[in-house]
Amino acid sequence: MGVVKAQRRVRSRGLGTDVLPLLPFLFFTGFFLLWPVIAVTLKSFKGNDNEWTLENFRPIIHGGPYFHSFIVSIKLALITASIGSIIGAFFAFVIVTYVRGRFKNVLDSISAVFANSGGVPLAFMFIAAFGTNGLATKFVRFLGYDIYAGKFTIFSFTGVVLVYTFFQAPLMILVFQPAISGMRKEWREASTNLGASAITYWRRVGIPILLPPFIGAFFLLFAGGFSAYATARALTSGTVSIVPIVIGALVDGNTQASQTNLGASLAVGMIVVALVIMIGYVWAQKRSARWRQL
Amino acid sequence: MRISSLQKWFIVGFASLLGFTLFILPVIASSIYSFQEPGDKGYTFKSYTWLLDQDGFFSSMGTSLKLAVLAGVINISLMVPTMVYLNLKGQKFKSLVDFICILPLVIPVVSLAIGAQNAMPSFLQNSQYELVFFFVIIGLPFTYRTLDTSLQAISLKTLVEASRSLGASWIRTIIRVIVPAIRGGITGALFLTFALSIGEYTITSLLHWETFPTWTVVASQQNILGAIALSVFSFVGAIALLSIIALFSKKGVRQAEAEK
Repeated sequence: MGVVKAQRRVRSRGLGTDVLPLLPFLFFTGFFLLWPVIAVTLKSFKGNDNEWTLENFRPIIHGGPYFHSFIVSIKLALITASIGSIIGAFFAFVIVTYVRGRFKNVLDSISAVFANSGGVPLAFMFIAAFGTNGLATKFVRFLGYDIYAGKFTIFSFTGVVLVYTFFQAPLMILVFQPAISGMRKEWREASTNLGASAITYWRRVGIPILLPPFIGAFFLLFAGGFSAYATARALTSGTVSIVPIVIGALVDGNTQASQTNLGASLAVGMIVVALVIMIGYVWAQKRSARWRQL
Repeated sequence: MRISSLQKWFIVGFASLLGFTLFILPVIASSIYSFQEPGDKGYTFKSYTWLLDQDGFFSSMGTSLKLAVLAGVINISLMVPTMVYLNLKGQKFKSLVDFICILPLVIPVVSLAIGAQNAMPSFLQNSQYELVFFFVIIGLPFTYRTLDTSLQAISLKTLVEASRSLGASWIRTIIRVIVPAIRGGITGALFLTFALSIGEYTITSLLHWETFPTWTVVASQQNILGAIALSVFSFVGAIALLSIIALFSKKGVRQAEAEK
């Protein structure tokens, strides 16, 4: 009797049993994703003696090297996302407009490979290609231009920009292609029939429609460039002070509580920047969806 | 007409040239470089054979393979039932799960790693298998999309109703009916998680474990040529692996459409 009653009670609450099949997923992500994020946030508000404090955030807000590392990271993300999104958008346009059939599939697969290539191997490949004696360096020198004539080295900020572009642009090709394929031929025809030139069409129709998805993709690239760690770490051995590298140095082999707490507050700072980017991304997604329903 | 075709060839030519210089040239250059004898004295396999003699080459590769396979299997076992439920009865939870699965792309992996250092119980922190769970997390955004696409391509409801009305249990329905129907998507998700796990560096290095990528960075300090050879090898390997994924997942969708 009691069992039946209990069952009925659970069933009548509806949500109770409905959520049961999701429990493994919720437990897993709760423990391995949300809990670490909560833990790092809590830790960032803890002082040396485990007391609550805002001290850890002081060095980030008040200038100095930690503040500077955020500037470097944001600058890196901005530059690589800009270059990557412009080059990627151009390639996406060319692929959608001029490439058909099997070759398009091949290009899509290659883009996917390159977009996922950010990591340790990429860093060493670029050292081989663009290092002081790299083959690409020699080839460009043979053409009459020495990239090492100025201050450039592959191990510098500019070097990291070069390497990041290598995976940012293909990522743009992947995420921006649907937006371009979504442009209807009828829009072009309608504007031509109304007497618009190609320039007017792009200025009044094409660009306004493509701008939201472009901004959305830009934010996605920004997020990737902002949080990437492996490539820059392997390339520069930690000399370019972006936030992830600074965090790594603070936490690595350091048992001092103040240092790890500071590392945690930097990590929370990164989450905050990432969330701001995400809000921009969601906004852009909503704006883009408006045209898809037409 | 002639002007527009000229314009077309100009744009396509420019794009090909730019694409070749930006993407293909570095790959070719580093591939050739990896076969070079130190000091420009011809070509050799020396950098590749050097690797095989190094301590930790096989053990770190073994560790990486083991962890990546485990991560792929756990990811699939967790996500297939979850996604089936979401597409069948749990529609109202879909946006919640969607949101959770996007988070690993949003939250910087470094932050997740620092959190893991503090949040994980010590029995997990003392075992390299703790990495598996975080590899699963990193794979979630991709697994979610892949499985969702392939589940939407089949008539899930009809299949489940048929199987259930013939007396099959839920577990049997999933294993014998749904899994074969979406095997393309499952293979894709499995390979993607595997590929991501094999190359994962951030969490591994911050949690101080030795896998293939972290070993590579350490080895590069002794012999940069060896590290370059290793990188070319794993990049070409990744191209092969991801091409297989592309092949399988395209095939999976087509199969599903045919079955529909």
